[in-house]
Amino acid sequence: MNRIKYIIITIAVFVMLAVSAAAYINTNTKSIVLEFGMFAGSNWDVANANSYVIIDKAIERFEKKHKNVKIHYYSGILKDDYSEWFSKQVLLGKTPDVFMILSNDFNQFASLGVLKNLDELINNDKTFNKDKYFQTTLLAGEYHGIQYALPYEAVPTLMFVNKTLLEKEGIDVPSSGWTWGDLYEICKKVTKDINGDGILEQFGIYNYEWLDAVRTNGAVLFDENEMKIDLSDEKVVEAVKFIKMLYDLNQEQNVMKEDFDSGNVVFMPLSFADYRTYKTYPYKIMKYLNFQWDCITFPAGKDGGNISGVNTLLMGISSKTAHEELAWEFLKLLTYDEEIQMDIFRYSQGASVLKNVAGSQKAELILQEDMEESEKVIDNVLLSRVIEEGTVAPKILKYNEAITIANNGIQEIIRYDKNVESSLKILERKINQYLKQ
Amino acid sequence: MQGKKFIYFKILMIVINLIAVLFVTIFIYITTQKICNNFIAREFINTVDALPWKPFRNIIISACLFGMLIFSFIIREFIYPNNSRVVYLTLLIDFITSIITICILNFNYNGILFLVMANIVTYTKGTKARYLLMLISVMGILIADYEMISINFKLYSINDYISFYDSMTQQYLLGFYNTVVSTNILIFIIYCIYVIQNQRGTIDEVNNLYNQLRKANEDLQKANEQLKEYSKITEKMGETKERNRLAREIHDTIGHTLTGISAGIDACITMVEKSPEGTKKQLEIISRVTREGINEIRRSVNKLRPDAIERLNLESAIHQMIIEIELMTNTHIYFESDVKNLKFASDEEDAIYRVIQESLTNAIRHGKATQIWVHIKGGEGEIILTVKDNGIGCKDMKKGFGTIHIMERIKMLNGTVGFDGTDGFTVTARIPIRWGEEYD
Repeated sequence: MNRIKYIIITIAVFVMLAVSAAAYINTNTKSIVLEFGMFAGSNWDVANANSYVIIDKAIERFEKKHKNVKIHYYSGILKDDYSEWFSKQVLLGKTPDVFMILSNDFNQFASLGVLKNLDELINNDKTFNKDKYFQTTLLAGEYHGIQYALPYEAVPTLMFVNKTLLEKEGIDVPSSGWTWGDLYEICKKVTKDINGDGILEQFGIYNYEWLDAVRTNGAVLFDENEMKIDLSDEKVVEAVKFIKMLYDLNQEQNVMKEDFDSGNVVFMPLSFADYRTYKTYPYKIMKYLNFQWDCITFPAGKDGGNISGVNTLLMGISSKTAHEELAWEFLKLLTYDEEIQMDIFRYSQGASVLKNVAGSQKAELILQEDMEESEKVIDNVLLSRVIEEGTVAPKILKYNEAITIANNGIQEIIRYDKNVESSLKILERKINQYLKQ
Repeated sequence: MQGKKFIYFKILMIVINLIAVLFVTIFIYITTQKICNNFIAREFINTVDALPWKPFRNIIISACLFGMLIFSFIIREFIYPNNSRVVYLTLLIDFITSIITICILNFNYNGILFLVMANIVTYTKGTKARYLLMLISVMGILIADYEMISINFKLYSINDYISFYDSMTQQYLLGFYNTVVSTNILIFIIYCIYVIQNQRGTIDEVNNLYNQLRKANEDLQKANEQLKEYSKITEKMGETKERNRLAREIHDTIGHTLTGISAGIDACITMVEKSPEGTKKQLEIISRVTREGINEIRRSVNKLRPDAIERLNLESAIHQMIIEIELMTNTHIYFESDVKNLKFASDEEDAIYRVIQESLTNAIRHGKATQIWVHIKGGEGEIILTVKDNGIGCKDMKKGFGTIHIMERIKMLNGTVGFDGTDGFTVTARIPIRWGEEYD
């Protein structure tokens, strides 16, 4: 009996040892494969034929430096499918080591713990100085005070100006420090019924949202800690009233995209990516052919500045990665390496997130390369300023849903001429109730 | 140590817990696959607070941990059932494994702790550690509750996965899951009741035995007292019997003789003047009767003599005494007698025997003597008995009880006795002997 006991125990111990030894050897001898999650095409919803060029270059450089490491990515995932694809990988426990994060997903994934807290890696890496990034873009990767992702590419929104139309109306292109008052004046001047049929054909502005007004009036919409929206703030009320004033200029007529495309609207907010795409060959021949155009800053409200919204493509590391160091190296290569970041100007439509790169002469040259001689390129000082001073979407879990409710409510206020103050208060309560759920 | 039913209960609990653990992990894995196949992964992620990071690995790990639990169960129950060190070690392993399992399951199922508790209940009977271990397990069950922990920590919930299905399937799934959980608790409760009843049975038995013991003790004490009483009575009875015997003896011998003598003397008084010759005859008769009476008395007294002399002759008795004393003490006793046949009247023999006994006792007790010489020397109508020792002697001799006793004995026989305490201690007794007189 005694002998049987010993045999059983010895066998059990040997099995355990063998299993752990096998697992240990398995993890040590195999060459390491780093999974990279990315989507094809542009994050900025513009056509992009070179989506893999930068990544492939980065991978080549990385694999040359780390001989036993292979970086693998699935090609052909479109941006629209990326969120679903990535969620699926997360659910199945196959989260890539390094991956792109869509701005709509960031809050959710950060709160779920999918993303690795990068603070420690940042602090321990002597070669890394996070001040090299634009402050705004870094902020985009922060959730509740913790850096969960690093920016890869930034795209600010700018104000599109129809120079031809302005010239026709005898108005100068506004300076970069212009105000709501200037905007209103110009809009009032250009809104006209040209052919006298009682319907307006020429408009001041298209697609200018209340959020643009709120941002440029220095209002803070969301309290991220309390998960609350603040619509009753004086600055918000002013912003909504300003939007209503602009709306009232159009005499209840809806301004359409076609109106802008055919050159009958002076202003329209536009992303930097759009700007680059439609300023360069071959896309420039598809749109905005019959007028000269350029981009300027947003007009400032009474209490705010000429501030743009900045959209950022983020990259993060999986919180469950087995190769933390390598993942960090690769993430750094993509987001912190000046050469790779320069390639963003070369092969993508956004702007680099590094101050050095975005403000460099070289970047300006690259931008100029694609444009015609006669076109004036957006100058780098302005671009840097716009990005640095811009704001990013607040880190609220149900941000998109809350904004949708707010949009509908404010549209109603403007359309049906409701009392702005009291209606905003009601709306605020409704949204806060939703956020609390 | 315990009945087979205990083991069946435990095996049943193990099976149920295994079902529950595997249900949670496998169900989550299958549902994850379904969610992915239906392209609602992103939507699903919006509805949850946390995710099981590797659903498939969770199945493997929890199965392995459960395997360890079963392994430790087998070691404890079948291989080393009576080794308390092994029992505690395996209980510890059980506790740690189940905590890890519960963590992997993100506190969705904590019933596995009931299994650990059942083992603690059985194996730590009557030890101090029991209450501590019980407390830890109860705290474990209370703390390791999904609803409690999910307030502060982000945990995945099996309910999120159940809500993926249509409402009919949801009901079946929840029904099944809750049944498994409740069955586990139910079996634990039944098990506890069983253990408690078992223990109560033992307590009753102990109480019963204790009562029996107490009763037996009381009986014994009573019997003891009765016995004491009885022995007192017996003692008294012996005394009375002895007295009666003495009284009868005296009456039969002295009474009879004295009556005869007094009647004879009365006759002599009346006769003495008329017939002096007849009186003389009468007095002779009286003399004879008196002598016979004396013999009678002697015979009676004989019956009350010391044991040794009664059984043996004087010489043997003295030898016997000396041997006994030498055996009991470190003293050498040299006995010498130049009287050929140490046979005297019994009162004389008694006296000699007692004087020797008393002297030896004194020499050893007071004189601390190591050597004693006893010497009997025959003389004209007397013997001289000396008992000399090499002890510390006695300068200023007080008349102790021992010497008084000796003197009294000798005096009764009209002898003399001398004590000398200068060189050791010497007792010299002259005892008159009635030589030539025939007795018996």
